[in-house]
Amino acid sequence: MLKAVNITKVFKNEGTEVQVLSKISLEIPQGEFLALVGRSGSGKSTLLNVLSTLVRPDGGELLYNGNKVTAMPDKKLNQLRHADFSVIFQFHHLVPYLTALENTLLPFMRSIKPASREMVDKAKQCLERVGLAGKENRLPGSLSGGEQQRVAIARALVKSSRILFADEPTGSLDKATGESIMHLLGELNRDGMTVIMVTHDPEYAQLADRSIHMEDGRLVS
Amino acid sequence: MNILTIPLRNTWRKPTRTLLLLLVFTLGVMAIVALYQVSLVIGDGMEKKLSTYGANILISPGQEKLSVSYGGLHLGDMLYELQPLSEEKTVAAVRSIELKNRISAVAPKLVTMATVNGTPVAVVGVRWEEELLIKSYWATDGAYPEEQNEIVIGRTAALNLGLAQGDTVRLFEQPFRVSAVLLPTGGDDDNVILVDLGRLQAITGQPDGVSFLEVAALCSGCPIDDIVTQIRAGLPGMDIKALSNVVSQRMASIHFVQRLVLSISLVILVTAATMVGLSMLSAVNERKKDIGLLRSLGYSKGRVFFIFCLEAGIIGVLSGILGYFSGFGASFKTLSLLAMAEGARPVFEPGHLLLTCGIIGLVTIIAAAYPAWKGASIEPSQALLAL
Repeated sequence: MLKAVNITKVFKNEGTEVQVLSKISLEIPQGEFLALVGRSGSGKSTLLNVLSTLVRPDGGELLYNGNKVTAMPDKKLNQLRHADFSVIFQFHHLVPYLTALENTLLPFMRSIKPASREMVDKAKQCLERVGLAGKENRLPGSLSGGEQQRVAIARALVKSSRILFADEPTGSLDKATGESIMHLLGELNRDGMTVIMVTHDPEYAQLADRSIHMEDGRLVS
Repeated sequence: MNILTIPLRNTWRKPTRTLLLLLVFTLGVMAIVALYQVSLVIGDGMEKKLSTYGANILISPGQEKLSVSYGGLHLGDMLYELQPLSEEKTVAAVRSIELKNRISAVAPKLVTMATVNGTPVAVVGVRWEEELLIKSYWATDGAYPEEQNEIVIGRTAALNLGLAQGDTVRLFEQPFRVSAVLLPTGGDDDNVILVDLGRLQAITGQPDGVSFLEVAALCSGCPIDDIVTQIRAGLPGMDIKALSNVVSQRMASIHFVQRLVLSISLVILVTAATMVGLSMLSAVNERKKDIGLLRSLGYSKGRVFFIFCLEAGIIGVLSGILGYFSGFGASFKTLSLLAMAEGARPVFEPGHLLLTCGIIGLVTIIAAAYPAWKGASIEPSQALLAL
């Protein structure tokens, strides 16, 4: 379970302080599909980044399975990002000079020891599951936006992540592709993965178990 | 697929940039290797040439000196028990020392006095072949002797005795032909008559006897003191002196060449390293997204640092290999253009290749260290702003 308690975040820009998150508290149980909705600039992406440990909050506490994430040293944070958390971005960011298969296996390419045969097979299965069978050796540049987003999802799958953070995963995709990605996220959630998704599309937010609305860095409903 | 896949793939992601960087560094390494090889060969050749401008070790009989004064009148220093040296034994002893390959010439001399037309003059017996090795700066009016009854006379002595090239002169009551007159040298040679050593030994009744020997030693690979110590061990009781000023002047010339090469190499290396550093700095800025992604996947700062350093290291090692071979090849061409090889050739040594690759790889990694650390220190949140 992921729990945020009185999370605050302030951005400084040319001497001006902007309060992006104001005392946000929420609990996300394992297996939930949560949608963070709100207008642009409401602070939903910042909250997602804080929850996924990519941004350190200025105040408050973040707890994962009872452990204080905000007090964790870098080494443990890295381990958490490696093992339990996965993030997919609006612009489905992949390493452009690695193939789809290598991008999927990226979490397991952190050392000199090569990724095991089993892991390579699992990565291929995950690519197959997201509909990319036969495209393992393609570079991101030769894949469509939807296919690239699927590679990012396959990467979360191969890690067996417990929580998938998705920042506007359909934001740069056409409607049909966006729907197929949402379908895939729903499928992963039904398999037990917690999904926390930022979206400004109410239609996609309805697919989640719960929607949280944000305005000016606060939860409003 | 492991962490090496990332830098290896990225290296060829922008082939033009990688090839340009590789070219710059390879040219740098090539220049350094070529300079080094050329300096080795030229240094060796230069030392051989320099050794022809005089000896640097003097071997003379052991002397006992007695300062004589009587009744307040100083009579000067008197030498006693002065024994001539054996030419055969002394030369053999010098030629058999451990560092014998550093000996380029051993020139024995027998010095005596004679009278020509009532004028006293010093006569020096020499072995022409050896003598000319260390006196290549001599210039003569005439040719060097080919017969034992031919002599060379110093310019001042010739003027004093009224002799010219082609004249015949009676020396030790025997006829000799002046085959050449030395052009002024500014040294002792201007005042003497130079005769074949064997002939002089026979005339003076000192077969195998010599007064002293001059030795020319090559010193770039060993200190002159070592050579002197080894000669001294083979010739106990003899007076062996290193002409340190000659050696130091000679070594200064060699060291100048070596320092020049080192300075130029350092400038080239620093320039090439700066290029790598700048290139890595721009790569870090370009790849903030990748850094953010890797950090979001749990890559530590150390691993990101390693990836960037490895990229630079790959360029460095490749440049080291290519630069070494091209520099080695270029050294042949340079030496032939300069016509200074004196028959010597650069020698390929696998150890040098490994050392070059290691040093260049290390230099590129050091050059990339700051940009790599800068990249690794970017917080994922900062990198994500680029997304």
